[in-house]
Amino acid sequence: MLLEVKDLNSYYGLSHVLQGMSLTVYSGEIVGLLGRNGMGKSTTLKSIMGLVRPKSGSIRFQNQEIAGHESYQIARAGIAYVPEERRIFSNLTVLENLMMGVKPGENQYQGGWTLAKLYHHFPFMKDRSAQKGAHLSGGEQQMLSIARALMGNPALLLVDEPTEGLAPLMVQEVRDVLLKINKEGVAILIVEHNLKVALSLVERVYLMGKGHIGFSGSVQELQSMPHVQEQYLSI
Amino acid sequence: MKRQFGKWCAWAMILGGLYMAPRVLGVFELNVLLGTAIFALFSLSLNLLLSFTGLLSFGHAMFFAAGAYGTVLVLTRLSGFPLLPLIGIGAAAAIGLALLLSPLLVRVSGHAFAMLTMAFSQIMYATVMKLSHITGGNDGISGFAIPSVSIPVVGVVDMALEQNFYYFAISILGLSAWVMWFFTRTPFGSIMVGIRDNPERVTYLGFSVPLSKAIILCVSAGFAGVAGSIYALFQNMVSVDGVLGPLSSFSPLINCFIGGLGTFIGPIFGTGIGTILLELMSAHPEQAQLVFSLVLIAIVLFLPGGVIMLYWKANTRWMAVRQNIQNRFFKRRIYE
Repeated sequence: MLLEVKDLNSYYGLSHVLQGMSLTVYSGEIVGLLGRNGMGKSTTLKSIMGLVRPKSGSIRFQNQEIAGHESYQIARAGIAYVPEERRIFSNLTVLENLMMGVKPGENQYQGGWTLAKLYHHFPFMKDRSAQKGAHLSGGEQQMLSIARALMGNPALLLVDEPTEGLAPLMVQEVRDVLLKINKEGVAILIVEHNLKVALSLVERVYLMGKGHIGFSGSVQELQSMPHVQEQYLSI
Repeated sequence: MKRQFGKWCAWAMILGGLYMAPRVLGVFELNVLLGTAIFALFSLSLNLLLSFTGLLSFGHAMFFAAGAYGTVLVLTRLSGFPLLPLIGIGAAAAIGLALLLSPLLVRVSGHAFAMLTMAFSQIMYATVMKLSHITGGNDGISGFAIPSVSIPVVGVVDMALEQNFYYFAISILGLSAWVMWFFTRTPFGSIMVGIRDNPERVTYLGFSVPLSKAIILCVSAGFAGVAGSIYALFQNMVSVDGVLGPLSSFSPLINCFIGGLGTFIGPIFGTGIGTILLELMSAHPEQAQLVFSLVLIAIVLFLPGGVIMLYWKANTRWMAVRQNIQNRFFKRRIYE
């Protein structure tokens, strides 16, 4: 078991966003976290990453308790985070953005992601390595954000709404890239709004109700249960 | 290739000019030049916090002062202390102060950082005044001899000679500026920009923001200390109002604004303009402040990017003109 979240409770001020959230991710799989807006999907990722401090509950990563740790310690332990809205450093060049992803000290997980390997997967970055991040298109920024996360050789990638606001062609490309990365052995926990994209990408899904998991199962199971989709996904 | 050549030419001119300065300039002009260089380094060190890391310090003079007092106290108390390590003592004193304050300073940013730095520099002012039996209080410490330096091949160099001290000081200042520039080009430079733009992103990439801030603070303080140390030797005195007075922390800030925030070399231009302006008006000190303030207002209002923007604008203009000329005279010939 790579990641085990158990009975997590997180607050934004007084509002109780995560109410006994539990999920697991095994090595090498892609897991989707789906649900309507405001259910706490992004907060779950942020809580795992330590950007939101959980009040109670446990988060075990590679059999190590990480709940309550500082974000940078969690990042060094081998979890990478690709946030919503493509948060790259727009004042730094593409290359500088990528180099920021290299973590200090020894990597716990040797994934073998190097600049050369990333340039192979994302050829446009090589040609535009000296350009400022701000000059990239939305899709390219998303790719850069993912590539930067990989530079740290993570065992687990948390991806928050990677296809939001992208052109259909770019959505395809992001999806393919995530699949390729997963083939290289990186486990992915993805929050995705686009149900079609999500179901074509993941092996297992968690559907979130208000602050907790309402359904968990394989993609086939979900597809055979329209009433569950109705309950947790339709608007 | 052509641009590289132009760059080397510019460097050669700058270095040649600095080398020739003592032969061409009189004592007064040379002193103005060296004073500008000292304050340029001080402003550059502040700019490391301001432009790169996004931390506004209202008390940067305390590091300048730590360097000045550190050097002078060791120089006057331990006879026979060599000159180069004295500068090192100045840097070490400033870094020591930065280390002492960093547990508090790295926790804050924005207004809180500005207020805390101002408060600490006020505390330092009061402390230096109180410890007048060591620091000389208001009168300061003055009239010390700068130790000579013996260089293996050249022999003993007498630093009491203005020209020799100039070469020594300008080398240290230039080298410091270069090291600082290099620092901004390392991956750590990217972390500084990252902290300015979005600290959270830096955190989830695996870097401790407080620790990074502490390192940046120490580097910045160290170079401010070097500037302070050379300033004290150059002035041949250190006094509380000279290095910790009300304007001491603000003049480098103003220099950064005049020169242009967001660039590395902006503060050098800002310091040059500020110093020249004040020297030109030195016969009328009251009006000098007025003119200086008007210039500052004009720049903030009409040239928010600082004087460095003039260069960029001229550069873009020149590029367009060159393109135009090329199009008109060369490309047509090809087609005809």
